[in-house]
Amino acid sequence: MDELYLDNIDEYVNDHNKIVTYKWLSLTLGVHVNTAKQMLYHYLEHKRKESSPQLHATYLVSGKSVDNGQTCHKVSVVREEQLEDFKSKMTLVVSIHVYSVQKALLRDSGPLYSVDYDAVKDNLKNCSRYSSIRCASAVPMSSVELRQAREKEQAPTSVPENKKPAVNGGASVASKPSAKAPKGIMGMLSFKSTSKNQDGSKDIKPEQKEVAPVTDPPKSKPAAKTNPMANFFGSQTKKADRPIKEEQEARTAVVSEQNQSSQQEEEPEPEPAAVQQKDTKTDSRSKTKRIEESDSEEEKMEKKKRRRIKRPEPDSSDEDVIPDSPQPLETKDPSPKKEVEAAQLSHGNSETKVRKRRRVLKSHVFLDDEGCMVTEKGYESESYSETEDDFQPSKQPRDNFKAKLPSSSKENEKKSQKRSSASSQKGTKQASITGFFQKK
Amino acid sequence: MTTLTRQDLNFGQVVADILCEFLEVAIHLILYVREVYPSGIFQKRKKYNVPVQMSCHPELNQYIQDTLHCIKPLIEKNDAEKVVVVIMDKEHHPVERFVFEISQPPLLSISAETLLSHVEQLLRAFILKISVCDAVLNNNPPGCSFTVLVHTREAATRNMEKVQVIKDFPWIVADEQEVHMKEPRLIPLKSMTSDIVKMQLYVEERAQKT
Repeated sequence: MDELYLDNIDEYVNDHNKIVTYKWLSLTLGVHVNTAKQMLYHYLEHKRKESSPQLHATYLVSGKSVDNGQTCHKVSVVREEQLEDFKSKMTLVVSIHVYSVQKALLRDSGPLYSVDYDAVKDNLKNCSRYSSIRCASAVPMSSVELRQAREKEQAPTSVPENKKPAVNGGASVASKPSAKAPKGIMGMLSFKSTSKNQDGSKDIKPEQKEVAPVTDPPKSKPAAKTNPMANFFGSQTKKADRPIKEEQEARTAVVSEQNQSSQQEEEPEPEPAAVQQKDTKTDSRSKTKRIEESDSEEEKMEKKKRRRIKRPEPDSSDEDVIPDSPQPLETKDPSPKKEVEAAQLSHGNSETKVRKRRRVLKSHVFLDDEGCMVTEKGYESESYSETEDDFQPSKQPRDNFKAKLPSSSKENEKKSQKRSSASSQKGTKQASITGFFQKK
Repeated sequence: MTTLTRQDLNFGQVVADILCEFLEVAIHLILYVREVYPSGIFQKRKKYNVPVQMSCHPELNQYIQDTLHCIKPLIEKNDAEKVVVVIMDKEHHPVERFVFEISQPPLLSISAETLLSHVEQLLRAFILKISVCDAVLNNNPPGCSFTVLVHTREAATRNMEKVQVIKDFPWIVADEQEVHMKEPRLIPLKSMTSDIVKMQLYVEERAQKT
C-alpha cells in the first residue's frame, strides 16, 4: 500500500478541517471499509509519533457487557479519552476500530452523522459497495416483481387487520405508502427471515411468546435477538388462517402462517413488519437508545436494517412504545404512569377513526417558589384519533432545569449570563443531554 | 414544478425565509459550540436532515426569533449586507465575531425542486463547519454574552425605524466599541454560491482573548 493515503488524510484533517470518518474515507477514496479503518489507524499512529497539532479520534467499540444483571451486546462510539475506561467495563470486547479522526474536539455526535450523510446520499445506489456486510440473496427486485408483490399485499392485508386492533394501530399499518427505496433492502431482510423461518418454525413460536410481551427486557443476547427479529421482518399481515385471540397470539399466529406459506415469497411491504417488529424490537432498542443516551452511532452500526426500521417509528402509533417505559427508566426520575392499555382494547375492532388515549411528551414552563423558571417535560395522556397525522414521537428524557430570570427586562442586551444553577441542575438530572460521550 | 422569477412577490420572501431559518439554527449552534451558555440548555433537534443543537430556554429562543424577525424584511429587500453574531466578554469588548456576508445575485428565474435540495446541502455544510470551528479558534474567556449586529446597505435602517417591526424590540445603532475589534484575526469558514443567495461565513477573532 503506498503511503499517499497518509497525505490525503492529512490534507482532509489539517487543511480542510474535516471530520474524517472511516465510511466517508472509504467512499471518497474508493476503498473497502476495513482498509479505510486501517488507514486511519496508521495515520493516527504516524501523527502521534511526530509531535504535531493535536488530533482527536473516536473509536467504535463493540462487545458484551453486563448491564443491571443482563448481558447485552453493545456497540458504541466513544472518544479516545474514554476508550480504556469503556473497554474495562465490558466483559468481552469483540471489536475496536477507529471511527473518525478530526482536529476539533466534538462536543456531541451530531457532526459525525452529518459527515456521512452527504457521502452516503451521493452514493445511495451503491453505498454498501465497500462494506463488508453482505447478503447474497439481497438483490433489488425488478419492477415486475415489485408490482406483483404489491398487488398481493393489498388483497389480504385488509382481512387480518380487523383482528389486530390495538396492537399496531391497524389502520396506520394499512395506510402506509410503500416506498420503493426500502423495498430492496426489506426484500433482503425478508429473504433472510424466510430462510431463518425454515429452520425452527416450532421453536420460533415459544420464542415469540417470550419476546412479544411488552415487559421484555430492553436488551437481549444477539442470538436471541436476531431470531425473533427476523421473524418480525418476515411476518406479514396476510392469510390469517388462525383465529386471533390476543395480541401475543396474534403475532405468533401471523409468524407461523408465514412459516407455513410459501417460503420463498418476497415480502416487499416493510411497514407492517416494521410496525409489528417495532412493538418489541425497536421498542426495546429505542429504549435502549434512550437509556444508553448514546446517539445515532449505536444504531448506525447495525446499518440499513435498523435504519429502515427506525424510520416508520415516528409515524406509527406510540401507545405500545410507552408501556415499556417503567423498566428502562432506572436512570431516570419517577417513571411515567403506565399506559391505559385496557382503554385501547376496549375501543373495539374498528379500523379507522378510533379515539384513543396516548401519552405525549409535553413541556410545561412555570415559575416555581423561588421565582425560577422551570421547564418540565412530562408525559401526559392525550386523546387522539387515528386519522390524525401528527403523531409525536415520544421522547424519554425529562429535563428539569432552572434559569434565573434576567433582572433587566427585554432590551437588546438582555441576555445576562446564566448562572451555574443551570449546570448544577445539569449535574443531577441532565444525564440525557450530554450522554453521547459518556460511558453509559 | 414551480418556477420563480425575481418579479414574483414571493421570491424575496422565499429567500428570506430560508435564510432566516438557517440563521436561527446557526446562531443556536454558535452559542452551543462556543459555550456561551451551558450545554445543558441545548437539546438535539433535526434540521436539514442532520442533528443540530437548539436551546430550550424560552427567553433566549424568543430573543433570537425576534431578532431574526426584524432582519427578515431587510433580507427580503436585499438590504442586509452582513449579519454578525458578536461574542463579547464581561467588559463588553468583542472577542469573536461570526460574520455572515449575504448577497443575492441578480437572477432571472429558478426552478424550485433542484434548487432547494441543493441549497439544503450547502446549508448542511455550513452547519457542519460551525460544529468543528473550535479547532481553529481559541477558547473564549468565561462569562461571555452575545449580540447580533446587522450591517445594512445604504440607509435601510432609517426605514426600519419608521416602521417598527416589533413593538418592544427596538434596534439601536451599534456602539463603536461593539463593532470594532482590536487586532482581529480573520479565519474563513465556509462560502457558498447558489442561484438564490451567495453567503460567506468567516470569523474575526481577537488575538488575545483574556
